[in-house]
Amino acid sequence: MYADDICMDYSDRNRKVKVSAWVKAKTPKKFLEYNRKIYPPQAIGEEPRPAFVCHQKTNLKYSPKKLWYVASFVRGMTVDEAVKQLSFVNKKGAVFIKEAILEAQEKAVMGHNVEYKSNLWIAESFANKGMVVKGIRRHARQRMGEVRYMYSHYFVRLEEGKPPKDYYKRNDLTPQEQLDAWMEQMRKRKITNSY
Amino acid sequence: MANLIMYKLSPLRLASASFLQAYRTTTSKHFNPKFKKERAAKYLKVDLPNPNESYQDMAPEKMRQKMKERGILPPRPWMERPIYISATGGVFEPYVPPEGDGKASLVSTTRAKQTVQLLEKKSKSMMAVRKIKSFEEDFSTGEFCTKAQDIYIKAHEALAVDDKSALRLHVTEKAYPEFRHNSRLKTIRWKFIESLEPPRVVHARCTDIVSKENIFGQVTVRFHSRQQLAVYDRFGRLLHGSEILAKDVLEYIVFEKHLANMYGTWRIHAKIIPDWAPPKDPSMLTRVLPEPELEALPPPQAEAAAPAIADK
Repeated sequence: MYADDICMDYSDRNRKVKVSAWVKAKTPKKFLEYNRKIYPPQAIGEEPRPAFVCHQKTNLKYSPKKLWYVASFVRGMTVDEAVKQLSFVNKKGAVFIKEAILEAQEKAVMGHNVEYKSNLWIAESFANKGMVVKGIRRHARQRMGEVRYMYSHYFVRLEEGKPPKDYYKRNDLTPQEQLDAWMEQMRKRKITNSY
Repeated sequence: MANLIMYKLSPLRLASASFLQAYRTTTSKHFNPKFKKERAAKYLKVDLPNPNESYQDMAPEKMRQKMKERGILPPRPWMERPIYISATGGVFEPYVPPEGDGKASLVSTTRAKQTVQLLEKKSKSMMAVRKIKSFEEDFSTGEFCTKAQDIYIKAHEALAVDDKSALRLHVTEKAYPEFRHNSRLKTIRWKFIESLEPPRVVHARCTDIVSKENIFGQVTVRFHSRQQLAVYDRFGRLLHGSEILAKDVLEYIVFEKHLANMYGTWRIHAKIIPDWAPPKDPSMLTRVLPEPELEALPPPQAEAAAPAIADK
């Protein structure tokens, strides 16, 4: 059917010369290896394993430190919510991340057997440093400074299902949750020198 | 600092603004525009590379210019690659299975007639078999059937285990992509339970490719067997078939061998799917239908024809 032939994974893996040979930029490949991991079949009564898809956008002309802010903003949101919010975030990185999330959503539906494209949430979203081109700038009194033109890579993993209630744990635990946590702590205690 | 940025990014703050179009921050522009040129002159201009440039869409002139800049020679204008034809591209004079084959009840006369259909009655097939015997002395249709079944089982088991080199031994180059279609990143569990009827050779043809001596033999074998198939996706969720139920499968498989090649082997080449074959099981995968195209409504009738006020 349609899943295999137009799977976007092939374009990532069999990509010929996405990055030119005369540039020191390298494409990270390990993150996309997770897309090729095959899990063993589940028994009939078992809870279905949630599908996930890993996607990356590499060599973005943006500082990784600035991109980190937008990446951490989007973590734990549903895909629709993330796209909605990113449309109004006033940062250059927001454009890259929005594109990445939409591409990942497309990949999930076409190649990774995700039934509803809105039933996805952002499980992992992070950025790291790509290549750095160093330039020079002039300071007063014949002193020179270094200018770093930074590139970033952005990685996102979308998972099927509902996102956790409070990803960043912004709210305090409810009294029941506090009680459960205390009980668990009490039960974990061990009498020293005992079995 | 982080709190400030997070506050800027938080949706509540932005949502309170009444207009969201031309939005500027106070931190992106120097307060005194008089010395802009001098400030810019402090920085050495650097040509930043664009690693995400797509070379497919680039015009050939632009590509040539870029290669000249880097001092790279153009690729060879001709392409000399040897081509070896190890399998034909299709089925030559395909077998047309008779309608209702294998459907009549076991005790009926039609079924009995179908089982007794001899290959000897088909002259062209017999001539092809004789031609195959001229290359392979001890070729007999009876023996070939058992060998064909072995090849069939081995090919399917290789596909289930994803053993590509083993699959290539039992499947021709033409059938290889058809076999592996839609099988990537999936777990396939296939079991050949039993053969309901002994496999039978129903058709045979010989073709020659390019030159008269380069002969390929194609033999169609009819299999009626019981098989079990379960296909799971990457995450172990059932996509097709079942672990418990088995199915009766009636298939007409074309085996091919490169007779002129002394190292040629019989391999699966194609499958004949008759028109009257039962439809496949519906897929468990779903798809979003495209939005229906709205028809243009007819324009509302002119009011002059029927005035609103009745007395005019």
